[in-house]
Amino acid sequence: MSLRRGTVAAALVVLALYGGLIASLAWFLDPEALARALTSERVLFSIRLSLFAATVATLLALLLATPAAYALSRYSFPGKEAAETVLEFPIIVSPAALGAILLIFFNNPLGEWVQESVARFVFTFAGIVLAQFVTILGVAVRMLKAAFDEVPAELETVARTLGASPAHAFRTVTLPLAKRGLVAAFILAWAKAMGEFGATLMVAGTMAMRTETLPIAIFMRLASADIEGTVALIVVLVTIGLTALHTARRLLQGRVDA
Amino acid sequence: MLEIEGLEVHAGDFVLRDIDLAVAEGECHAVLGPSGSGKSTLLAAVLGIRTPVRGQIRLAGQEIGRLPTEQRGLGYVPQGLGLFPHLSVAENLAYSARARRLAPPTYRPLLDRLVEITGIGALLGRRPATLSGGERQRVALVRALATRPRLVLLDEPFAALNESLRRDLWWLLRSLGRDQGLTVLLVTHDLTEAFFLAERIGVLVDGRLEQCGAREEVFRRPATLAVARFLGIKNLLPGVVRDGEGQQLRVDCPLLGGVVSLPAGDSRAVPGSRVMLGIRPEAIALRDATHPPHDGEVVLTGRFDVNDLGAEALVHFHHEASPLVLELRVSGRVAQRFGLFEGGAGTAVGLPVEALFWVPETRTLRTAGT
Repeated sequence: MSLRRGTVAAALVVLALYGGLIASLAWFLDPEALARALTSERVLFSIRLSLFAATVATLLALLLATPAAYALSRYSFPGKEAAETVLEFPIIVSPAALGAILLIFFNNPLGEWVQESVARFVFTFAGIVLAQFVTILGVAVRMLKAAFDEVPAELETVARTLGASPAHAFRTVTLPLAKRGLVAAFILAWAKAMGEFGATLMVAGTMAMRTETLPIAIFMRLASADIEGTVALIVVLVTIGLTALHTARRLLQGRVDA
Repeated sequence: MLEIEGLEVHAGDFVLRDIDLAVAEGECHAVLGPSGSGKSTLLAAVLGIRTPVRGQIRLAGQEIGRLPTEQRGLGYVPQGLGLFPHLSVAENLAYSARARRLAPPTYRPLLDRLVEITGIGALLGRRPATLSGGERQRVALVRALATRPRLVLLDEPFAALNESLRRDLWWLLRSLGRDQGLTVLLVTHDLTEAFFLAERIGVLVDGRLEQCGAREEVFRRPATLAVARFLGIKNLLPGVVRDGEGQQLRVDCPLLGGVVSLPAGDSRAVPGSRVMLGIRPEAIALRDATHPPHDGEVVLTGRFDVNDLGAEALVHFHHEASPLVLELRVSGRVAQRFGLFEGGAGTAVGLPVEALFWVPETRTLRTAGT
């Protein structure tokens, strides 16, 4: 078997695996159940909650990830290597464990003080955002760092010899050139936040019409043996997620072609 | 204009040390050196990207070592040119004026003049990616010069161009330099480029400025073995200093048949110290072996290997009485006249002692004037 044939076959196996799993939903997909789900107040709440929480969590993550990624891309500083290593922490630790760690934190004196004096996170909307934020932050930093790495630092130096302050050079040179990477990072982080389940379950619980995000709603339907309802919600989640990922892929493609 | 004194800069494990360099106003000063010699680190310190560990960098009398890059009054053209790919040529050229919030009357006349001299007027609406190598080069130069920099830093800016285009741009830069009275610090590994553009040359090897002087001085009398080797001089013969008398130095060089007396130069050598005698390949002459030698010339006989390079011939001379091999460069016509392509029987080489230079065998022996 030639290298081309072998590698193409592997790529098609990947497609068949995920495509097959998605296609298998059709076996239990009941259009009526889907219509019912899309008009159910509880499901619509879950969709709105997921969309809103994922957007807030992603914006907050990018707010911290953008300067952090820039520093990791451009500067040497004590703790840089450890900071880079810890970016993979949410991937290594399972989301459920990450949620459990958050829950444990809110039960120690400092966490209790945060709950009392700053904001309540356990079993609240803020808890959902926090769980998603912690899960996606590492990925967001990693992707943004890659975007900044692609912009030669030399351009910033030239901008500064042309009279630009570091902030002006960042705003007028680095940021526009990293724009596609930034948008792609936003979409991928947002899609990951949309699908987040384990950490959200631990921190925010499963309260209907309060903390029940779309992935949690799927879990609740399955737990009550409502297969058609589960499939209908999965289809909604898959549609939102795949649309986001496809957009990200197109943006990244554009970056490579540019 | 630029004065660097006792500069030491660290870049990871690499150390650039004891750098003393002065560039006069309106002068082009080249810093030559092989890859990894510290040229970019030196530029990074002048640019303000790397903070010196010690030493001073003064520009027009002002200490700039701790100033932010944007306040140093520098123009900079890096090897990659640094054109902003998301901006048009016109936007690239106006970037500085916008960053500094200058009113058009303050920068437009100079910018227009530079655009006219360099002939890039037709490119203003285009993006850098659509320009040829030479066009990009001109745009980068104009952008750097339009800021009226006190000092222009050029970091191998012509490295990516073909020979013909490179020469065109050398001429352009030279005329721009005269037109605008530019003070330039040029970093390059290209000897021809440095000798074409610069009045003074410094040679940087392993983080040390081995020699700094007028172009002709560096060309004809390398101060150290490292400089001689970097300049591509292969004719280096070991010798021992016998003594010195005034402007002359007597060196015992067995490969040249005994004691030769050569110009001492600005430096002193201790009798008994080991040195290397050198001579540039084009300084060695061909002679008819049957004629008596010229005054002040060491004549050697042997056989020749010739490689025809087109306009000139690269010749290896093998001395008949020793393992000495000398490299010569002569014109193709001269090589033909002396029958070198047929083995060169009856031809000798003449080494004018005036053209011989000496360098210490180790770096530490020669200090004054280097």
